[in-house]
Amino acid sequence: MNGYGGSILRINLTTAKISKESTPTNVMRDFIGGRGFGAYYLFKEVPKGADPLGTENKLIISSGPMSGLMIPGAGKCDFTTKSPLTGGYASASMGGHFTAEMKYAGLDSIILEGISSKPVYLFIDNDKIELRDANELWGKGTITVEKHFKEVFGEEFQVAVIGPGGENLVSYACINHDFGRQAGRGGVGAVMGVKKLKAIVIHGTKSISVADNKTYRQAGKALYKACKEASFLPEWTRYGTTVVTSWCDEVGALPTRNFSAGSFEDGKNLYAPVMREKIVITDKGCFGCPSPCGKYSRSKKYGSNVEGPEYETIGLMGSNLGISDIEAVAQANLLADDLGIDTISAGNAIGWAMECYEKGIFTKDDTDGVDLKFGNVEATFDLIGKIARKEGLGALLAEGVKKASRKIGKGTEKFAIHVKGMEQSAYATHNATAMLLAYMTCDVGAHHNRSWAITYDLQVGRDLVVPEKVARVIWLQNFRPMFDVFGGCRLQWVELGIDRDLYIPALEAITGVHRTWEDFEKVGERIWNLTRLFWARENEGFGRNWDMPAPRFYEEAPKSGATKGQITKLEDVNLLLDMYYEQRGWTSDGLPTHERLSELNLSDLVV
Amino acid sequence: MRLFVDSAKCSGCNACRVACSLNLFEESNPKKAALIIQPHFPAPGVYEVKVCTQCGDCAAVCPDEAIKQNSKGAWYVDFDQCSLCEACVPECPEEVMFVRVELANAAWKCDLCGDCVDVCGTSALWIAEKEAVGA
Amino acid sequence: MYLDGKDEAEVEAGRTVRETLISLNIKPELIALIVVDGEQKTKDYIIQDGDLVKVLAVIGGG
Repeated sequence: MNGYGGSILRINLTTAKISKESTPTNVMRDFIGGRGFGAYYLFKEVPKGADPLGTENKLIISSGPMSGLMIPGAGKCDFTTKSPLTGGYASASMGGHFTAEMKYAGLDSIILEGISSKPVYLFIDNDKIELRDANELWGKGTITVEKHFKEVFGEEFQVAVIGPGGENLVSYACINHDFGRQAGRGGVGAVMGVKKLKAIVIHGTKSISVADNKTYRQAGKALYKACKEASFLPEWTRYGTTVVTSWCDEVGALPTRNFSAGSFEDGKNLYAPVMREKIVITDKGCFGCPSPCGKYSRSKKYGSNVEGPEYETIGLMGSNLGISDIEAVAQANLLADDLGIDTISAGNAIGWAMECYEKGIFTKDDTDGVDLKFGNVEATFDLIGKIARKEGLGALLAEGVKKASRKIGKGTEKFAIHVKGMEQSAYATHNATAMLLAYMTCDVGAHHNRSWAITYDLQVGRDLVVPEKVARVIWLQNFRPMFDVFGGCRLQWVELGIDRDLYIPALEAITGVHRTWEDFEKVGERIWNLTRLFWARENEGFGRNWDMPAPRFYEEAPKSGATKGQITKLEDVNLLLDMYYEQRGWTSDGLPTHERLSELNLSDLVV
Repeated sequence: MRLFVDSAKCSGCNACRVACSLNLFEESNPKKAALIIQPHFPAPGVYEVKVCTQCGDCAAVCPDEAIKQNSKGAWYVDFDQCSLCEACVPECPEEVMFVRVELANAAWKCDLCGDCVDVCGTSALWIAEKEAVGA
Repeated sequence: MYLDGKDEAEVEAGRTVRETLISLNIKPELIALIVVDGEQKTKDYIIQDGDLVKVLAVIGGG
């Protein structure tokens, strides 16, 4: 099967039944791979109303046609499920080497079903596939467990593992891999935890066959050449995503003290060159990547190593918490990684809790005696542990800010910074309407990865509310996540600015199917509409209300920083949604029409 | 001429190893590559790369004369001549002489094709003259 | 788009990057990155004689 592993592996954890089926050609044709497979199997096989932490939910892990091949960024793995955090669609993209190993083991997707009665791990070595006892490993941190498996099975084995966070069903528990990469968001780790699956260890020695080996090698080399000649490559490799910290601070996009502002008066201590000089030791990358964004670091102050912090964690565990010590942020990153919880949601939730405390809504009785002020580093470390173990205040925060603020009430919902129940990632959007819309309409909740539009806002006018901005957001949403569908990384296009047309001959030579970017964006649109329907199917009354942003962004202008006094008007928020629904071909309440579904060849699936 | 590596620049991406297996076997399978990337994580947090230095020690012990020199002066394995005796493997000072019968019917090694250099985004790999041997 | 389509310009030493960008009719907020000798600098950096200042306009992002 050209470019593919060839098989879908099903693991029923209730019955311990293991089975394989040939990857269906119609699914490859319409959904291509990666996140596309995830969306297809989620919609088709997880029944309406399934409890995300119940036996009917599934975790679908997929590689794609680029994965494991000689293509820049060929190292991304998709994890799709019904989210315990939001009750809707979750898709998390994990870098590293896991996705490549799936292909070498002949696998396109691994579908995890049911719930095991006791802790197990999934062992895959080519065609030898077993569920093995994980009792001794249960309760242990992700770094410890991955290290253990590497020692026992060897470096060729790739490991995906949950920590206590996933075991304890924290709503935003993550899955960890390669000592520093995660399937981070939406609680995919909790789904693995409730299934009592501690880890997957995988090894494969098969070669990946492609349709036209000669053209694939040429096209792959041309892609690498373009990357190596990109003028931004040295700086990107030097700093990774942290390169953007200073610019965000400068333009008011750096989340500060629970998104109350977009600039941090001590932000300079978090900037990329400070981090590089203080802690970075290795530029670490994913499979096939010529532009390694990972900054593997060693903190002398804490005596520990961590991959990171990357920009999101700097934002949410640094400036968002009023913390300006980059080593403290690195340590917070490590704690969260080892315990297996998403740094973005955790940082956002802790920021909410700090604001509650500073406003007197929480007292020391609520915070287990801790002076939970912004800037309190020890309290942050402590709270990360409590969240992972659901202890004390951590139990409340582990539910996510949407549920936590509803429980507490007292106006705390106004500053719970989320969309659809997913905590907003690290761009403050008081005055950046394209990015605000991106967060409002992102298919998993308030995540930036689909449509990173903040620079576009600055280019064309940050408060502008015009159809062109909406068109831009939609185009990015149809296009950027296609890399997740290919099983690869978008950052070579996004950051190095290489010509995206270079991917076309490569993908054709790999799969044997000629497709243009127009064809791919159509697939992107198909997946977008399908996952929108999933939200609607699973959530009574789903519609416009679910796309609304945190009230902070239309009610509370920052009192300091680059966006001091700037705020988006509520009527503009609604206008953005009106234009968005119209351009998407949806109803005024934000649901795909039958015509749209038919055009996208989804009618059969959706019936 | 030989391949050189600065391990400190290696990001662990393995593009070099896929390029290598494509050159040697026309297959995408980094386990069939002729250079090693050894990760050392979580500590000290670096990658260690081993490459063939074209020392020729393997060729010297091959009883089948299966290890020959190509037009670049690099030593390569003639797959048809190799009897899988494995005499070469322990001779290699860099441990980059490979025999894995589940993967190939002959030993394999670096033939200095240079494709790895082409796909290395951090410029950790390069080809240059061998240093002159001391007297 | 900037510098009348040229790739580079010669500028005076002694002024900050911000002041220099403004004098070249470039909005500072549209420059995402400033690098001198491989090191990122902020726009408060004062340009020294002989510096090679590389700037990157905002593009695609994270």
